[in-house]
Amino acid sequence: MNNHWSSYQPGSFYDELITGRGSPRTAARGAINLFQQLDADEMAARREAAELAIREMGISFTVYTEGGNIDRAWPFDIIPRVISAKQWKKVSRGLMQRSRALNCFIDDIYNKQRILAEGIVPADIVLESSNYKPQCQGMSPRYGVWAHICGSDLVRNADGRFYVLEDNLRVPSGVSYMVENREITKRVLPELFENYSILPVDDYPSQLYRTLASLSPRDRKRPCIVVLTPGIYNSAYFEHAFLAHGMGAELVEGPDLIVGDDDCVYMRTVDGPMRVDVVYRRIDEDFMDPEAFREDSVLGVPGLMRAWKAGKVAIANAPGSGVADDKVVYAYVPEMIRYYLGEKPLIDSVPTYLCMDPKDRTYVLNNLDKLVVKPANESGGYGIMVGPHASAATRRRFAGLIEKNPRNYIAQPTLSLSTAPTYCDGGIEPRHLDLRPFILQGKDSWVTPGGLTRVALVKGSLVVNSSQGGGSKDTWIVEGKA
Amino acid sequence: MTMLSRVAERLYWKARYLERAEDIARLVGSYHLLIMDIPRGAELGWDVLLRILDAEPQFYSRYRTASEQNIVKFLVSDTDNPGSVVSSVRSARENVRTTREVLPEETWEQVNELHLFVKEAADRSIGRRNRQAFLDEVVSRCQMINGMLQTTLSRDHAYRFTRLGHLIERCDMTTRVVDVGVMELLERDSRFAAIDPLVWSSLLQSLSALGAYRRTVGPLLDGTSVAEFVLKQGDHPRSVLYCLRGMRDAVKALSNNDDVMRHIERMRRKLGRLRAEQLEPTEFHRYIDDFQLLINQLHVLIGDTWFHPET
Repeated sequence: MNNHWSSYQPGSFYDELITGRGSPRTAARGAINLFQQLDADEMAARREAAELAIREMGISFTVYTEGGNIDRAWPFDIIPRVISAKQWKKVSRGLMQRSRALNCFIDDIYNKQRILAEGIVPADIVLESSNYKPQCQGMSPRYGVWAHICGSDLVRNADGRFYVLEDNLRVPSGVSYMVENREITKRVLPELFENYSILPVDDYPSQLYRTLASLSPRDRKRPCIVVLTPGIYNSAYFEHAFLAHGMGAELVEGPDLIVGDDDCVYMRTVDGPMRVDVVYRRIDEDFMDPEAFREDSVLGVPGLMRAWKAGKVAIANAPGSGVADDKVVYAYVPEMIRYYLGEKPLIDSVPTYLCMDPKDRTYVLNNLDKLVVKPANESGGYGIMVGPHASAATRRRFAGLIEKNPRNYIAQPTLSLSTAPTYCDGGIEPRHLDLRPFILQGKDSWVTPGGLTRVALVKGSLVVNSSQGGGSKDTWIVEGKA
Repeated sequence: MTMLSRVAERLYWKARYLERAEDIARLVGSYHLLIMDIPRGAELGWDVLLRILDAEPQFYSRYRTASEQNIVKFLVSDTDNPGSVVSSVRSARENVRTTREVLPEETWEQVNELHLFVKEAADRSIGRRNRQAFLDEVVSRCQMINGMLQTTLSRDHAYRFTRLGHLIERCDMTTRVVDVGVMELLERDSRFAAIDPLVWSSLLQSLSALGAYRRTVGPLLDGTSVAEFVLKQGDHPRSVLYCLRGMRDAVKALSNNDDVMRHIERMRRKLGRLRAEQLEPTEFHRYIDDFQLLINQLHVLIGDTWFHPET
C-alpha cells in the first residue's frame, strides 16, 4: 500500500476520483487500486516513460515569448480523470442541445433576427459586437449549421454538477491532445486498460471527416477537404497537421488556395489547380479573406468569402459564427434553448452578471472580491481577474476598466473548480481542472466521449491554460462497474 | 494522390540542401587530404574551392585573405554564407519542418539531429585536427537520411520531388568539380605534371568515384578520361549522366512534364556528343559553362512547371 494515497486530502472541493470520505468513486476504483500498488520509484518511472513518449511522438505546443516562439513538450499528468458513462450521457445530451440552440441563434441573427425583434436578446449587444459580421447577413449554410465544431469549457462545481463556462465557436483547439493523451496512457500504463471498458477517443479525425464531408457542395464520394492553417508559427500548428493527417486531407496555407473567376476555390497542386469542396478553417475569420475582412492579412485567401457566399465551398466554422461566442451573449443561452427548441436546458450555465446592466454592474463593483471578472472577447485565459485571489490594487484596476467599458466585461461567481489527484513533486495532491469536450454538427451531431481535461499544475491555481502553466490529463468515460 | 505545389517545392529544396551539405563536406574533405600530399611550392590554393562554388565575390566581401582557415570557415561553419554546410543543413531542416506529414516519421528526427550536431560541432572543426572527422560525420549522416528515404518513402510525388532535388544539385556539383579540374590542370605548367594524378584522384574521391574509376577504366589517371568518367559513366550514381537519367525517371510520372522532359533530353544529347580528348582546355571550359547554364534553366523550368505555374 502506497502512503501517497492515504494522505490525500481533497478538502472542500468536489474531487473527481475520491469522495469526501476519502474512498475512491465507483468508476475510478480500478484505476486507484492500481496506482496504490505503485511505489514512489515506480510512479517516477511511469512519469519518465510518459515524458519520453511525448518527446518521441513529437507532441508539442508553441509558446509566444519575447525571445521568439518556443516549442514545448506537452505537459501531461499520468493519473487519468474518470467519469462514468451514465453521467456523461446526460452531459453530452446537454451539449448537443446547446450546440443546436447556438446554431439556431447564429442562423437567426444573420437572417430574420426574430430573437432580437422579440426582445429576448437585446439587439445592440449582438449587432454592435465585433463578432457580428454584417458580411454574412442573408447566408444560410447547409442544415442551418454555422458552428460545426464547438469546444465548450465545462467545470464541475462543489455541488458535483457540470456547468458550461464558455462555448468556443470560432477556432477551438485542443482535440489532438485529447487523442494523444490516450495514446500516452496506453503506452505507459497498459495495465489500467485490463479491467475497464473505456470509450475510445481516437476516431475523432474520422468523425470530423464525416461532419466536414457532409457539408460538401458537390455530391462526391470523397470530397476534397483541406485544413487551412496560418502556418508553422501558430501555437496550434501541431494540431492542424495532426487533423489533416488523420483525415487524409491536405494541410494548406493561404497562398496554396486561389479563388477562380467561377467563384470556386482551388488548391495549387503539381497536377494543376484542384477544386476544394470544404475548408476546415483554423485561421481567424478576420484574417481569412483580405477582400472581405482585414485587408492587411497575408495569411488569408482573397475571394474565399465570395466563394462561400456563392455556395461553391463550405467553410467550417462558417464565418460569423463567433457572434454566439461572446461572454455577454453566453448569458442568454438558456433563453435561446427555450426560445428555439422549446426545451429546458439540460446542462447548467454559470450565472452571469452583465456589467452593461446598471443593476448588475453595481452588484459586481460591490462584490469584486467574490467574483471572477472576464473580458467579453478574449480567449486563452488572458485578462481575467479571479476576485478572491486578486490584490486590492488589481481589483481597483478592474473596477476602473469596468466603469470605462462596461459592455466589455462580465462577472461570474467564483466556482469551486473540482480537483483530481495529480502527481506533483513526487507526491499526489489535488489540483483544479476543467474539461473541454468537442461537439460536432453537420448532417448529424456527435460529442467526444470525454474531451480534453486541463489541469492547473500550480497548487491552488484555477488557471488551466497551457500557455500559463496548465497541464492535461487523459479523460476516461467508463462503462459499467469497474 | 496529388501534392500541393508548396509542399513539392519544399521537398525539392530540402533535398537540394541536404545534397549540398553532403557535397560541400566531401569537397572540403577531399581537398583537405590532397593538400597534405602536395609538395611545397606546388600548392594549389584553397581558393580553388571558392571558384568551384562561384563564391569568390561573397567570400571577399567579408574576408580579406583566402587562407585555409578562412575558406574552411566560410564553407563549413559560416552562418552568413547561405551555401555553407551549417546553413544548408539549417535550410534543409526548415523545409522538413513543414513537410513532415508527407515524409517518413524518422525524417524530421534525423534531420533535426544532423542540425544539432552541425550547429554544435562546426565551429571547433575548422582546424585540421578535427576537420576530417567532422566532415565524415556530416557525409555519413546525410547518407543515413538518404538511405532511410530510399528504403521507406513511397514512390509517390514526395519521392519524385526529393529525387529531383538531389539529382539536380549533384549534377550541378559534379560539373563544377570537373570544371575546376579542367581549369587548374589542363593549363598547368608541365613541371608539376607529376602531381596531376594526385589532383585527379582527389577529384574522383570527392565524388566517391575513385574505386569505380579504377575498376572500370584502370588504375592510371589522366585528366580527360577522369572528366569523361564523372560526366558520362552512367552506372556511377554521382555521374552527370546518371543524374539526368534519374531525373527523367522522376519526371516521367509527373503531369505537364513535356517541357522538362524535352530539356533533360537536350542535356543528355549534349553530354553524348562530348569528346573530351578532342577539346582544348578552353573549349572544355566553355562546354561545361554551357552545360551549367542548362542545369540552371532546368531548375527554372521545374519551378515554372510545378511550383508556381501561371494560373
